[in-house]
Amino acid sequence: MTARIQIERHDTDILILGSGGAGLFAALHAQQSAPAGTKITLAVKGLIGKCGCTRMVQGGYNVALGPGDSVERHFMDTIEGGKWLPNQDMAWRLCEQAVVRVRELENEIGCFFDREANGALHHKAFAGQTADRTVHKGDLTGIEIINRLMEQVLSRPIERLQEHRAIGLIPTRDGAALSGVLFIDMRRGVFRFVRAKTVMMGTGGGPTMYKYHTPSGDKTMDGLAMALRLGLPLRDMEMVQFHPTGLLAGDHTRMTGTVLEEGLRGAGGHLLNAAGDRFMFDYDGRGERATRDVVSRGIYAEMRKNNNPDQVGMFISMKHLGPETVRQKFKGMVKRCADSGFDLAAGLVEVVPTAHYFMGGVVVDPDTRTAIEGLYVAGEDAGGAHGSNRLGGNGVANSTVYGGVAGDTMGQDIARMGSLRDPDETVLDAEIARACTPLSRKAGHVQTLRHKLQEAMWEDVGVMRTATGMQRGLNRIADIRAELMDTGVDGSTLAFNLTWHDWLNMASLTDISEVITKAGLARENSRGAHYREDYPDAGDLAASYFTVAQAAGDAVQVARENVAFTIVKPGETILPEGEPDTLVANA
Amino acid sequence: MDVAIWKGDGAGGQYEHFAVPAEDNQTILDVVSWVQQNADPTLSYRFACRVGMCGSCAMMVNGTPRWTCRTHVKKVLKDGQLKVAPLNNLPVVKDLVVDMDPFFDKWIKAGGLHAPSKTRDDDIAAIAPDTDGRQNANAGIECINCSVCYAACDTVRSNPDYLGPAALQRAWTIVNDEKHAARGAVLDLVAQSDGCFNCHSMGSCTAHCPNDLDPMQAIARLKRAAIKHQLAGGGRDA
Repeated sequence: MTARIQIERHDTDILILGSGGAGLFAALHAQQSAPAGTKITLAVKGLIGKCGCTRMVQGGYNVALGPGDSVERHFMDTIEGGKWLPNQDMAWRLCEQAVVRVRELENEIGCFFDREANGALHHKAFAGQTADRTVHKGDLTGIEIINRLMEQVLSRPIERLQEHRAIGLIPTRDGAALSGVLFIDMRRGVFRFVRAKTVMMGTGGGPTMYKYHTPSGDKTMDGLAMALRLGLPLRDMEMVQFHPTGLLAGDHTRMTGTVLEEGLRGAGGHLLNAAGDRFMFDYDGRGERATRDVVSRGIYAEMRKNNNPDQVGMFISMKHLGPETVRQKFKGMVKRCADSGFDLAAGLVEVVPTAHYFMGGVVVDPDTRTAIEGLYVAGEDAGGAHGSNRLGGNGVANSTVYGGVAGDTMGQDIARMGSLRDPDETVLDAEIARACTPLSRKAGHVQTLRHKLQEAMWEDVGVMRTATGMQRGLNRIADIRAELMDTGVDGSTLAFNLTWHDWLNMASLTDISEVITKAGLARENSRGAHYREDYPDAGDLAASYFTVAQAAGDAVQVARENVAFTIVKPGETILPEGEPDTLVANA
Repeated sequence: MDVAIWKGDGAGGQYEHFAVPAEDNQTILDVVSWVQQNADPTLSYRFACRVGMCGSCAMMVNGTPRWTCRTHVKKVLKDGQLKVAPLNNLPVVKDLVVDMDPFFDKWIKAGGLHAPSKTRDDDIAAIAPDTDGRQNANAGIECINCSVCYAACDTVRSNPDYLGPAALQRAWTIVNDEKHAARGAVLDLVAQSDGCFNCHSMGSCTAHCPNDLDPMQAIARLKRAAIKHQLAGGGRDA
């Protein structure tokens, strides 16, 4: 088998993984800040501008540009929303630089965000925020941002490695720095090792190990799995954000799990149980308009009560608002539901909580540097900015702000770096052997294992967790991993062999599922997205800790570290005295 | 149902038949995925977002270019049969995967990128949303660059150099964008031999756009603007 494996070698100066908001901004900023003649390469698992999740952003972009709003207020909302777990310096940088980045998007990149009648930017309200702060382009904000960024990148002398899947971060022999990244050129099915002086990883988290999930199909936690194998510390790994209303259309369709937008509940949509009754007021005084985590738990609790096997989820109902009004106001959503056979405007659409965003990630500093020389991480792969919960509208802000920061930082750092570093050939060989594992085994059914993992994570490490459940989850994950290692793939051709990539996807997802579960066991309280039925209280805010997971040999160890309140302490605020608690009318 | 799927590469290929179980809520992408996951593990196709936002998964379905993630089987099934092939007018990589680079190269060639008139240090321009220019620009802004119009276009088929509907629609958006600093240059670009004057207004682009955009009308207006610009001397920025 190994005789057939070809390895190509390639060099660049700045290598960027990913083509969402982080990757594209990193490429543009690296080009602006690096010395002339620096070679920049953008490598993506799919096509530039198409794969990744920034493109899928519906809601919008949080930025303190609205009347009366301030960076301080955006920062306080981010800290409160993250239940005091965010790295405060990162959260501050996020809110402060979002202002610059939105101006850059409008003025230099060419995005056009929706306007008020007088021509000023329109800021819409989003749950959990004390100001109308979210700029947007209808409910297709991500398409506008990524299309415009993509044009800028495609028109510049930036080398493109499309459909190149990263499978290993390869260090130098002494382990002190990164040498480069090992890829599979998916179209040809060959391995390619690319050395670079600096590498930015922006592959996007994406918790697709859950039965119901929203992210793009290419996202399978490859970045975090690579960082784990390299021995980097990962923080907040228990924090998986569920969106309350994912479409439920059956196991056989890729539509299942995709988001029905937040605005449906905001506009007055009802959630109904099997008997046709509203239930959210049993859980929260705000009813359907409660925050994502609360509504997700309400739906989940109601699902557990239901004994009718024909009905898995709950229903969203909009028809009391007038079907015509719904068709006008939510044109895109109504059309999308209709395409998969549901009538959102006048009928009932079955919904379930769906894994949406991953707050956890690699430990980085506010300049995106990691514990290893030469590696930078931005976007959903980086942990810290959101703590235990991400506010709607802070995701695209995070990826674009920190992608740009990474590009600037790499452009500066590369000036003081010498020549390219040689890889540890032993690690390189081991990564290739790992990827080839299924090619020498009898072909099995990878999709069955994916379903098993998704069931295990949904049932035992999902919306509501207990120690017993998570221990059971760990056992299930270990069994699934053992089965995966025994499951082969038809390798008669390696060119665009999606089943081989499904296997590799499963390997990444299995590794990170274990980390999520162990971090979940380590957090013995309930904060934000992480809810422990056996520890329902938030715990002492002043003694807040975050989890840090790291590989130690074959095992994963999880430690706790205290949150450093570098800017504000629980119970305090940095808003000037006399500022109102909220600027939102009728909040 | 009987599903015929084209398998091959740039050198050629043939249809292979698969019996795929029918389901209630089933898209063409689901059918293709079922075949790869259960019947032919080496079948290649491309998708990403699953919800009609990324424009990665377009294919020929019973002879028509479509976004497969949002095309319900019931809508296109003919006598219990489906025929799925790689998108027309683009080079095949393998099976149902095409190389989209020529499409994007033309997007850039038609001037499809912003030329800044301000910087990140400046305030955001106040722009009234209801002016004619802004309405024109908005009309094409939701393009997901899926290449369905490009695959449907007879002119692209007969003249591979033609920039095609999506790229020209983007150019029309730019010509109407008051923030763009070099709109005249874009009008010069689209007036060249591979540009908007190749369009015969057959309308396949508009008929097939999954987002109900109207590239044909955008190109017709672009032609008028380009002529006006040439008569005024061309070259200068509008």
